[in-house]
Amino acid sequence: MHFKTLTWLAVAGTLFTAGAAQAEEMTIGFIYPAPVADVGWAKQLDLGREAIEASFGDKVKTTVVENVPEGPDATRIMNQMVTDGADFVMLGSFGYMNDGLRLAGRNPDVSFLHASGFKQTDNFGTFTPRNYEGFYLGGLAAGLVTKTNTIGMVGAFAIPEVVAEVNAITLAARKANPDVEIKIIWLNSWFDPPKAQDAARALVSQGADVLFSLHQDTPSVVNVAEAEGVYVVNTGSDMSAYGPNAVLASVTMDWTDYFVREVGAALEGNFNGSDFRGGLSDGAVKVKAWSKDLTADQLAQIKDAEAKLMSGELHAFAGPIKDQKGQERVAAGANLPDPEIFGMNWLVEGLEGSLPN
Amino acid sequence: MDTLTFLLSGTLLAATPLLIAALGELVVEKAGVLNLSIEGMMALGAAVGFIVVSNTESYWLAIFIGGLVASALSVVFAAVVLLTLGNQVATGIAVGILGLGLSALIGQPYESMTVAPMARLPIPLLSELPIVGRGLFDHVAVVYLAPLLAVAVWFMLMKTKLGLIVRAVGESPESAHAIGYNVNAIRFAAILFGGFMAGVAGAFISVASTTLWANGLIAGRGWIVVALVVFATWRSGRIVIGAYLFGAATIGELLVQSFGLAIPSQLLTSVPFIATIIAIVLLSMDGRSIRLNAPVSLGRVYHVTQ
Amino acid sequence: MMRLPWVIETKTERSTSAPLIAPFAAVAITVCAGVIILSILGVSPGKALFFLYFAPFSSGFNISEVFLKMGPLLLIAQGLAIGFRAKVWNIGAEGQLLLGAIGGSLLPIFFNDSQNPLMLPAMALVGGCFGMGWAAIAAWLRARYNANEILVTLMLNSIALQLLFYLVSGPLRDPLGFNFPQSALFPDVGMLPILFSGFRVNISIFFAIGVSLLAWLFVERSMTGYKLEVGGTAPDAARYAGFSEARAIWLSLLIGGTAAGLAGVFEVAGPLGQLQRVVSPGYGFAAIIVAFLGGLRAIGILFAAFFMAVIFVGGDIAQTSAGVPFSVNIVLQGILLVTYLAARVFVDYRVRFGTRRRIPAGAG
Repeated sequence: MHFKTLTWLAVAGTLFTAGAAQAEEMTIGFIYPAPVADVGWAKQLDLGREAIEASFGDKVKTTVVENVPEGPDATRIMNQMVTDGADFVMLGSFGYMNDGLRLAGRNPDVSFLHASGFKQTDNFGTFTPRNYEGFYLGGLAAGLVTKTNTIGMVGAFAIPEVVAEVNAITLAARKANPDVEIKIIWLNSWFDPPKAQDAARALVSQGADVLFSLHQDTPSVVNVAEAEGVYVVNTGSDMSAYGPNAVLASVTMDWTDYFVREVGAALEGNFNGSDFRGGLSDGAVKVKAWSKDLTADQLAQIKDAEAKLMSGELHAFAGPIKDQKGQERVAAGANLPDPEIFGMNWLVEGLEGSLPN
Repeated sequence: MDTLTFLLSGTLLAATPLLIAALGELVVEKAGVLNLSIEGMMALGAAVGFIVVSNTESYWLAIFIGGLVASALSVVFAAVVLLTLGNQVATGIAVGILGLGLSALIGQPYESMTVAPMARLPIPLLSELPIVGRGLFDHVAVVYLAPLLAVAVWFMLMKTKLGLIVRAVGESPESAHAIGYNVNAIRFAAILFGGFMAGVAGAFISVASTTLWANGLIAGRGWIVVALVVFATWRSGRIVIGAYLFGAATIGELLVQSFGLAIPSQLLTSVPFIATIIAIVLLSMDGRSIRLNAPVSLGRVYHVTQ
Repeated sequence: MMRLPWVIETKTERSTSAPLIAPFAAVAITVCAGVIILSILGVSPGKALFFLYFAPFSSGFNISEVFLKMGPLLLIAQGLAIGFRAKVWNIGAEGQLLLGAIGGSLLPIFFNDSQNPLMLPAMALVGGCFGMGWAAIAAWLRARYNANEILVTLMLNSIALQLLFYLVSGPLRDPLGFNFPQSALFPDVGMLPILFSGFRVNISIFFAIGVSLLAWLFVERSMTGYKLEVGGTAPDAARYAGFSEARAIWLSLLIGGTAAGLAGVFEVAGPLGQLQRVVSPGYGFAAIIVAFLGGLRAIGILFAAFFMAVIFVGGDIAQTSAGVPFSVNIVLQGILLVTYLAARVFVDYRVRFGTRRRIPAGAG
């Protein structure tokens, strides 16, 4: 009997505290398009989640659903999250946009953050990294170190975000070294590390001695670069551990400050869906793991460009810029405006290949 | 690494796992069973192989255990299609899903990790040949073993009594049963062999080719294997040719992209698939060879009532 | 050595209870496996299993989701089953679905401000034809050049995906969408009417059920259906009866392709509302299992599609609400399907346990 009473007390106690906690704590759900690994896009988002927990402690409770492909099933998962009482939802992939917006419309009390989207409402904010700023620095470094004057890039799909990166790399590399030639291979696949590696080797066989791994979550291309003795600049996380000799730099994303700020606003009831485009100056994009092979002079040039990009003195897409057909896209003295950067579907002068139109 | 070296070495590297798994599937299909779970078994072999290398640094052990575990999964397939007479197409796909799930489950702690590459075995003299030496003769040993395996499988199927029995079971299980062979036991063994080979192929990808593990690593190659056996019209020699052609087509696609032609990349990505269709049309125009080699009872449930 | 402890016999009559026992036996075994796996991983098995198998029925929204998921599976599986009965192995429903989605998207994309109520039927017509046309490639190559349809349909899946990637990032892209790889949102006349406000299930589920009825009539009651089946299983006999193997191939693939194409239209005109890079979470492959789970019979497929939809929806809920890792989810789905296929032996055959003095079936 004694035991039984104790058990009941314990159960009642748990229920009570759970109920009490629920009234206060804010439940934040995270949906990632890929599994959380040691590196990659989902990992960087998850670091933001950890920062939220560290900053707000008991006031928040976070849940994660990983490896949710874009498409009709993602909707079910975000709906379930809200049904389960989430007050705040982070949608970690562009493809969740339309259903996320509909859900936000039906649940005005729930705050949403959506990665890479372009539509906002009062309770639906978006965040996009200005990776092209980081890749501008990467391109500069590539132009400085290449001996074969050939740079190779591996990308999954030619979406505007990646096209902007490709163009930024090209502009910077040709600024450092006008003779540089740039080659791109698109994988046209959601996820295929063996193919990414074959593409990297194909580029090396065409003389590339600096590779760019654009939005590849795994260290596939970094691995090949290390084996083939060429440099690589990768996206997402610091991958220098996977290619200690190969990594020239890692263009990383850091969402910790942004997430903490937005959750803080929501806790105070001040959440307002806005469009955050974070680059070098806000610390959302950080270029890490600069190779020790860079000479002091080269590193100084890069750091100088970094400081100018941060201060606004330099813009990655400062005119004059011509496209691959020789037509002027940005006039001298002007900078490409944001909507055109994030909707880029043309390649700058010096790039071969074509984009569907 | 020049263009030709890459074309040759890339082709061998891409084709080797396809070839190994397809040889296994060939034996299974010759025995009259269609096993569509290759994708899942390759994924499981890849995950297991990677885990073994990460913990023991022994590559051969990893490839062997990868094969063994995939073989264990194929026991499930064999049991359902042979003992409870489950439909082979559906069971294959279902066991494939199970394999993909198991690979993701046990591979979770190793997601996006890498291992050191398997040591290469350059063949003396040959690897120093001009032009083709490095492309063809500077690889891990498995790459050289794969075509030898094809010869062994051909010999087993066409020149030994065991091969005769396997083919008889695939042609007409009723007659094979009537002359005293245990049809189910032979099919069971064939399925285990097919599972082992698929596991070896998967482990090759994770420990010798990409040297990393990530969920979804196999990325549809198991289905290419199924297509390859059909493409080869159930002949070992043509599996070798088909695997290398397909490997060359995928490598060629990437090379052509790197030339920067003004062709949509999606069209280039489709080229290996279009080429495969054209090749099968050309090969199939003369229907005789297919009728000669296709196992008559392929995919059919074998059930003796009395 | 391979002697079995049971005897499997061909059935003389169909029992009514066996088809119900199979799924429950499969669920029971999966639950046991689930308890073990989840306990090892430290996830509460009770909670997880509740969300996996009961939560799909727990709310209007979830029930609506089950029917939303069931629609395309049912439609595609009915189309495929007709071909499978004739031994035509169309593995390309996924590609045919994508072509249907592309075809169905053309009208609402190019007539984006249209208010014509005939938009939706026209979309279905175009999309169905696109799916049919994609399958016709395989039918033509098989009938004319003897090219194996398993290989051709598998390759056409990959080509269809690249075609979709090309179109959404180029010609069919939303001109006002910042060049993101997706089309404009469809106008209201291009959207399937929703059944209940706030839920996603739409009228296409009735269409799929209607097609099931037609499939039943075609297979069980029509002469063409009978000839088709004979044409695949016994070509010589069928030819004698005036029905060629080529006709079986054409008819099988065209029916399968049209059904898959329509399913593609219903996805873009239903839950998606636009053409995008991801149209199907593998419906074309899942439908192959559904067709066989249902024993290639129209009524069986109806239940199999429902069953499959429940476990998919349950998996998503369990992942969200009970913290079940996605990999465990897939493993449990695999176990469930495998055990169901094994348990079907009780549906398709008569099984007697214990060894009698007879030659055990299949052992020899």
